[in-house]
Amino acid sequence: MTHPIVRFLVRRLAYSLVVLVGVLIVVFALVQLVPGDPVRIALGTRYTPEAYDALRAASGLDRPLLQQFFGYVGSALTGNLGVSFRNGDPVAGILLDRLPATASLAAFGIVVALLIALPAGIYSALREGRVGDVIVRVTSQFGVSIPDFWMGILLIALFSSTLGWLPTSGYRPLLEDPGGWLRHLVLPGLTVGLVAAAILTRYVRSAVLEVAAMGYVRTARSKGLPPKVVTFRHTVRNALVPILTITGIQLATILGGVIVVEVVFAWPGLGRLVFNSVASRDYPVIQGAVLLIAVLFLAVNLVVDMLYAVVDPRIRLS
Amino acid sequence: MRPLRTVVSVVVAALVAVSCAPAQRVDLGQGSGNLIAAIAGEPDQLDPQKTSAYFSFEVLENVFDTLVEPDTNLEMKPALAESWTVSPDQLAWTFRLRKGVTFHDGSPFTAADVVYSYRRIVDEKLSNVDKFSSVADVTAPDDGTVVIRVTRPTPNLLTNIGGFKGMAIVSRKNVESGQIATHPVGTGPFSFVSQKSGDSIVLKANPAYWGGPPRIPGVTFEFITEPSTALSALQAGEIDWTDSVPTQRISQLKDDDSIHLAVTPSNDYWYLALNEAKAPWNDPRVRQAIAYGVDRKSIVQATSYGSATANQLAIPEGNPWYTPYDKYRYDTDEARRLLDEAGVHPDRMDLLVTSEYPETVTAAQVIADNLAPLGITVNIRTVDFATWLDEQNSGNFDMLMMGWLGNIDPDDFYYAQHHTDGANNAQKFSNPDVDRLLDAGRTETDRSVRQQDYAKAATIIADQVSYLYLYNPSVIQAWTTRLSGYDARRDGAIRFRTASLSGGEDR
Repeated sequence: MTHPIVRFLVRRLAYSLVVLVGVLIVVFALVQLVPGDPVRIALGTRYTPEAYDALRAASGLDRPLLQQFFGYVGSALTGNLGVSFRNGDPVAGILLDRLPATASLAAFGIVVALLIALPAGIYSALREGRVGDVIVRVTSQFGVSIPDFWMGILLIALFSSTLGWLPTSGYRPLLEDPGGWLRHLVLPGLTVGLVAAAILTRYVRSAVLEVAAMGYVRTARSKGLPPKVVTFRHTVRNALVPILTITGIQLATILGGVIVVEVVFAWPGLGRLVFNSVASRDYPVIQGAVLLIAVLFLAVNLVVDMLYAVVDPRIRLS
Repeated sequence: MRPLRTVVSVVVAALVAVSCAPAQRVDLGQGSGNLIAAIAGEPDQLDPQKTSAYFSFEVLENVFDTLVEPDTNLEMKPALAESWTVSPDQLAWTFRLRKGVTFHDGSPFTAADVVYSYRRIVDEKLSNVDKFSSVADVTAPDDGTVVIRVTRPTPNLLTNIGGFKGMAIVSRKNVESGQIATHPVGTGPFSFVSQKSGDSIVLKANPAYWGGPPRIPGVTFEFITEPSTALSALQAGEIDWTDSVPTQRISQLKDDDSIHLAVTPSNDYWYLALNEAKAPWNDPRVRQAIAYGVDRKSIVQATSYGSATANQLAIPEGNPWYTPYDKYRYDTDEARRLLDEAGVHPDRMDLLVTSEYPETVTAAQVIADNLAPLGITVNIRTVDFATWLDEQNSGNFDMLMMGWLGNIDPDDFYYAQHHTDGANNAQKFSNPDVDRLLDAGRTETDRSVRQQDYAKAATIIADQVSYLYLYNPSVIQAWTTRLSGYDARRDGAIRFRTASLSGGEDR
């Protein structure tokens, strides 16, 4: 009596929960496995025994291991991820502060990537072996090879230092200052988007090529359908599933923080938070960030799974 | 396809609109005319007595005060204390506090705050508790007076209590509410307004500042880690000041009239230390051989593009405590001769460095190259800083490289590092003459005698290679030509209290 699509989604959700439990175990083990005593590292070279005991108790490290684990999972599920070793701020609040900047960057980056990769990949596949294809392939190879920090510095040198069109760095919240938000977003967004575009283009091209070799495409062409219809209704539509998959992975990767780009552009996102927290061994924040990034990955993949069902009726029905 | 086409045209139109808009600053500082300073990282916390991060002190220098503070020549001058006297037996220091000073929350500053602040450092054993090693007690006979009693004459007491903002006077209310780490309340020229995690900290001028109100409405500290980004932002006029300067571009920037570049020799120093608890490094001749075997010039070039100054002692030229010394030179033959004389030819050396301080990793490669002709294979061990400290303290190294920052008094430079009982004497150096001279320096009140004591101690330390001193790095800062009333200081303190900005409209 349940609709197949509901069953499909329930199954996917169950998979996600299993992965989430695995992530929780890894995140919890992180603090247990680091060399040295995290409390001692947090306190520095000199501290009183009282301060040591207080921080140890506050971070729950004095309790038995299993109790600690269920305590961690329990509070994580209620949104309590502990407090930062650095300044005592709640970790959940720190992560939420950083999420809008990274979400802006990811959204802008993926839009740029798709705007470039879809036309370039389809064009390249349709002209396989010809000059246009070679140009697209060489350019995307170039884009994949260029380090993102270098691309970022080049964009700053051109658009900020030389032309003076755009700010070099920093972030403005969308709701406080929409114009400033967009102006500050363009350069880091382009950097992220161009690198992702280069990767996506190659996937789009090979997905389209694979479908184009299928019998039904030949049939469609031989029964005299206009090339445009063959391309978009028969070829591209069927290539969408692999393209969706790789787009989802790219988006999740950017959401997880593009550390180097965020550092170059002084972007207050998750990537820079992870960078700083690792440098200062702020374990509660590293744990929280890893957990959040894992949840974002799962969420994006769940959405991608739902989109499969939209674009491919076979998945809906199986 | 129509919806997609619409999206494309909207995005393109938006991008064009954005790109063509005249470059203007759209930040919090703009409307207010704040000075925008880019620092290379985010403060770990804002409690001056607890943090050890330079990024925190860059901000807190402008928020907090100490009883006395160093002027540009690093002589101690009145701050929250207006004047002081020392008893004839040198064992009691009486400070008269400035009247009418208030904290940023409006509450009055009194002697009880000084007692509370100092007690907190001692009772909680904060990292600066060493500064009070000779202090017996701190009392407040009345609201305007503080008496510090010491167990032995302490000529460097003023440096100890005022050398840096780690000894700041804090507000008891601020500490007890738990707010000080994130919302500090001080008595300084600027008060804390807000912090955006990963982005910036905003301070505003304190009109009631005892030294007179600042001439700028406030300071916005932005965290820009990548030096080339910070420099681009300065050149584009988005920021007014930065100390995140790419060292490889210093020579080029010196010719750039559009910005002001300061390269000031600092009191910081980098050194190598050989583990004297292990053979053959316990033989001074072997240590001297290494001192002749390393090429300081190449190390300075590799670590700082030549912006640092090679030095065979810790204290740089120009400092009142400077002692000239140039025994060593890069001379592999002399090094070989000393090894022959000692009758040992070590073939391996474990060199402990940390990626937290990239200069140690860079220098290690030069040193490995330098020592190869002596038949020594240097095994460079790069570890994270927590491990580095553990390995140092457990004596698990042949040689290590590290630096000491923020030193003012000669006692800061030598005692903990080279006294037999020194807290940081990880290399296990022990020399009775050095011990006697360093102990004498701690209590000697005649400045010229004290100077001679330290000159003698420093010479023995370098002769015996307790430390193999390498170089003094420079304080490197760049700022807009619109900024005046500011200068780079050799102690690295960033003070914007007298800064002013001209022509705020046309940027």
